[in-house]
Amino acid sequence: MSIATTANAPPQAFPSALSAVLRPLKGLRIVLPFAMVVAIWWAIKWHWALDDRVLASPAQVAIAALQLGNRGILADYAATSLRMMGIAALISALIGVPLGFAIGANRVVARALEGTLRFLQGISGVAWLPLAIIWFGFSDTTKLTVVIYTLVVPIIVNTIVGVRAIPENYVLALQSLGASRLRIMWDVYLPGALPSIVVGLRLGMGYGWRALIAAEMLVRRGGLGDLIFGARTFSQIDRIMVGMVLIGTLYIIVDRLLVQPIETMTLARWGVLRK
Amino acid sequence: MSGAVDKIEVAGFRHFFQSESGPVQATSIIDLRIQAGEFVTLVGPSGCGKTTLLKAIAGFIKPSEGRIFCNGRPVTGPGRDRGVVFQELAILPWRTVRRNIGHGLDIAGTKPAERDRIVARLIDLVGLRGFEDRYPHELSGGMRQRVAVARTWAADPDVILMDEPFAAVDAMTRLTLQEELARLCATTNKTVFFITHGVEEAVFLGDRVLVMTRRPGRIKAEIAVPRRTPGGRDWESFTADPEMQAICEQVLRLVREERGATLVAGDGASVVPAA
Repeated sequence: MSIATTANAPPQAFPSALSAVLRPLKGLRIVLPFAMVVAIWWAIKWHWALDDRVLASPAQVAIAALQLGNRGILADYAATSLRMMGIAALISALIGVPLGFAIGANRVVARALEGTLRFLQGISGVAWLPLAIIWFGFSDTTKLTVVIYTLVVPIIVNTIVGVRAIPENYVLALQSLGASRLRIMWDVYLPGALPSIVVGLRLGMGYGWRALIAAEMLVRRGGLGDLIFGARTFSQIDRIMVGMVLIGTLYIIVDRLLVQPIETMTLARWGVLRK
Repeated sequence: MSGAVDKIEVAGFRHFFQSESGPVQATSIIDLRIQAGEFVTLVGPSGCGKTTLLKAIAGFIKPSEGRIFCNGRPVTGPGRDRGVVFQELAILPWRTVRRNIGHGLDIAGTKPAERDRIVARLIDLVGLRGFEDRYPHELSGGMRQRVAVARTWAADPDVILMDEPFAAVDAMTRLTLQEELARLCATTNKTVFFITHGVEEAVFLGDRVLVMTRRPGRIKAEIAVPRRTPGGRDWESFTADPEMQAICEQVLRLVREERGATLVAGDGASVVPAA
């Protein structure tokens, strides 16, 4: 017994000591690539001695960020974008999920609409901007239309995929336990399709965020797209770049802190593996 | 024609499937009666139509010809009077063991205290104590089938239909599950219709063994198995019993005849288009 424990101890101690050393490195592993991007950016600025009206240095961008931040301008523009995104995500889920269920419940309908959905996925939300502006003017409605359109298609598609992937036996077994249609919807279809719906929402948020920034650049009524496009008029390179950094950062925050946890939670808990 | 109504009555059942080259006959005419408390097993070569018959009794498919009654009432669809245990993939991965087993009771609106009592009893009967709060992906294949069996038993249907429920588990686990099922049936006195392609399994479990011909199948023989004392049903005493072995041999011969016939028919069919 004692021999066994001593024999087992070193190989156990070694990995734990190693992982203790590596643990702080884990954070570094994520930060390091960012640091390299900043380093390359700086190197380009110095090497070609680029004018501030062509490329601002990371330090200049940081100063501009502090100034804009202190005056509450950044928070104001960012809040406009985030609010739009939140409203669009909510409406898209409310439209996309029931529609996906309705289509997915019937194999024939699902097959028939496959081509149409792919066609619509091909026309990006931004391509709808000209029409949307003609219909709704330079308004929030135009922005919402474009973002909801961008979000709703992946949600519909993934809801259909989720519904279609549910084994028929789940439904038959519940029918044999006397379950009503509504009950089967609630107990089988909804939880069964949820992981796929979350995947759709996550993809949609990525596409939708980009579409929103583009729409804001054209519509110009607040939002980070407006901020960077407006800064272009006065060649405020530092301002443009602050906006860009913030666009990327906010997307990481929304995705990592909001959508991804829901995804891993449902997948890990139920052990539902997606192929 | 005794006074009691048969639990299951199949009269003049015949079924055809639609395929691209026209209708395919799945079964010949089948008549069948199952009385209360009986354990009837059905053996036949694969593709003989035994699952088709079970699905029709369960109400998952509409018979092309003939009528099916449960407790004297015509079967029009799935219902909680006929519980089904599938071969695999039928318990819900997002529900714990306890919530899967109690699902039928939840649907029936059983009071929580009563439901918990029934579920606890079944968890004991199928040996799942200590695993109540696990999710199916944390269980072995054999344990998952125990959950499926317990879920059907908990809902207390009039008749339990089992479609090769132990075909997907390993051989050693299968022996245990068969013994447990025999014990469970002896304790609860349920009416069971069990289909399999295992001859020994059919004789071991059944009070009455039905043998089907190759496709399009009909019931060609019916062998009564003298009931062994409840509680004394285990594989050791079964294999040591000359009477049981004689019945096994008899059933095996009847099934083997069909295998031979299938081979001849298969050869004949492949020769015709070539000639």
